[in-house]
Amino acid sequence: MINPEEAYKYMDNLEFLHEIENASDENISSCYQCYKCSIGCPVVVEMDVLPHRIIRHIINGNQEKVLGSKSIWMCLQCKACSVRCPNDIDIAHVIDTLRKISVKLNMYAEKDIRLFDNLFLESIKARGRLYELEVLMKYKIAKKDILSDTKMGIDMIFKGRMGILPHNIKDRKTLKTIFKKIEDDRTNE
Amino acid sequence: MVTLTYYPGCSLKTSSKFYETSIREVFSFYGIDIKELDDWSCCGASVAHTVDEMLAHVLAARNIAIAEADGNPVFVPCSACYSRSKITNDKIIKDKGLRDKVNEYIYPLRCLGTTEIKNIIEIFSEHVGIEKIAKGLSFDLSSIKVVPYYGCMLTRIPKTDVFDDCEDPLSMDTLLWAAGTEVLRWPFKIECCGASETITNKNVTSSLSGKIMDMACAVGADAIITTCPLCQMNLDLLPHLGRKTDNIPVLFLTEVFELAIKGKIIGKGSHIIPVDQVIKKPIRRLKTQTQH
Repeated sequence: MINPEEAYKYMDNLEFLHEIENASDENISSCYQCYKCSIGCPVVVEMDVLPHRIIRHIINGNQEKVLGSKSIWMCLQCKACSVRCPNDIDIAHVIDTLRKISVKLNMYAEKDIRLFDNLFLESIKARGRLYELEVLMKYKIAKKDILSDTKMGIDMIFKGRMGILPHNIKDRKTLKTIFKKIEDDRTNE
Repeated sequence: MVTLTYYPGCSLKTSSKFYETSIREVFSFYGIDIKELDDWSCCGASVAHTVDEMLAHVLAARNIAIAEADGNPVFVPCSACYSRSKITNDKIIKDKGLRDKVNEYIYPLRCLGTTEIKNIIEIFSEHVGIEKIAKGLSFDLSSIKVVPYYGCMLTRIPKTDVFDDCEDPLSMDTLLWAAGTEVLRWPFKIECCGASETITNKNVTSSLSGKIMDMACAVGADAIITTCPLCQMNLDLLPHLGRKTDNIPVLFLTEVFELAIKGKIIGKGSHIIPVDQVIKKPIRRLKTQTQH
């Protein structure tokens, strides 16, 4: 039971709600808890905080609850919630925004997904196109798990479904400069 | 003869190379000329936007900007590439602030949103049409029961005008029907396959793609038909993801057209789940029947 004094404290703390609304450009406060997002979510079993509750926690200012949740990393960005929301809140986009903030504040619960994301972008930055084999191997080395999935890997190479050599673009220099500029602007924000 | 600018995306050059082969084969039959986008780069896929939204827009805009010089519609067969390009193109048109910022980053290139972004279903519906498809059939596929699988990226783009219904799309159903297959109704047209979780959390993909496979088998389908390279791969990899029960082949839409016009699938050796049980089914149509 939350006593009235504590409830009042929540009502007063709208800072977090405003922060997320501004960062995501989504009208989060229009949520009236219809649960449609959670009902349609394909990974709801993997989540510690259900999507409709994430929205409610943002409104109530429970920053740690959402930024430290496993849920924001389990989201597959399939957008089922977003297209079904009667209040037109792009919930998947809200979750995407929470991910960025949770990484910035170093509160993120699941490190593997961000590790993969960074390796992926590293590959794009260097080559312009994804070099799957390189990203996979780097990920597996970082996870110290090189031997799992070898059978799958060999089958894929055998069936021509894994590029052995990278596909680089011609204008890598310009692309690298663009990446650098965006990264610098992000840190200066 | 229609000419399109073709943005393949990384998948169609590596893990789904046979999809490109199939597209080229079928397009040349229907008189669609595709010109590969010069020095295209990755669209950022499902990763860039989750790290930095500006980066995602810039990566997509770089390709759109190169395409705008030609003025032809941009044909994007991969669902992720299509969704990212469509989102950025829409924002470039509507949001001047973003447009200026993006163009600052990609200078001397310039992206104005003057070109159209089209997926493969739109290309078949608009530039070939069901009449031409039906008239061009050489093989009778009526013995093949298929379930159309759209996946999530193709029709679920929030706050954007999408080409088909986001809950019950029918455009691919129509094309498959025109190609002569028996199209089954099923409830998992737009379920999520697990996306890139295959690498970071294999069990999620195995469970989600497994459910889709189970449902397709339960309704009695011979094959699942998709247009998305990632959906195709996740479903096709099920035998490697620990699934023990039966699987049915997962074909690209263009591979169905290959069967209908040539009676064979060029890229059948690239499928993890063997496609033989489907290929053996088609029977040649009589010449008189074709003229109907």
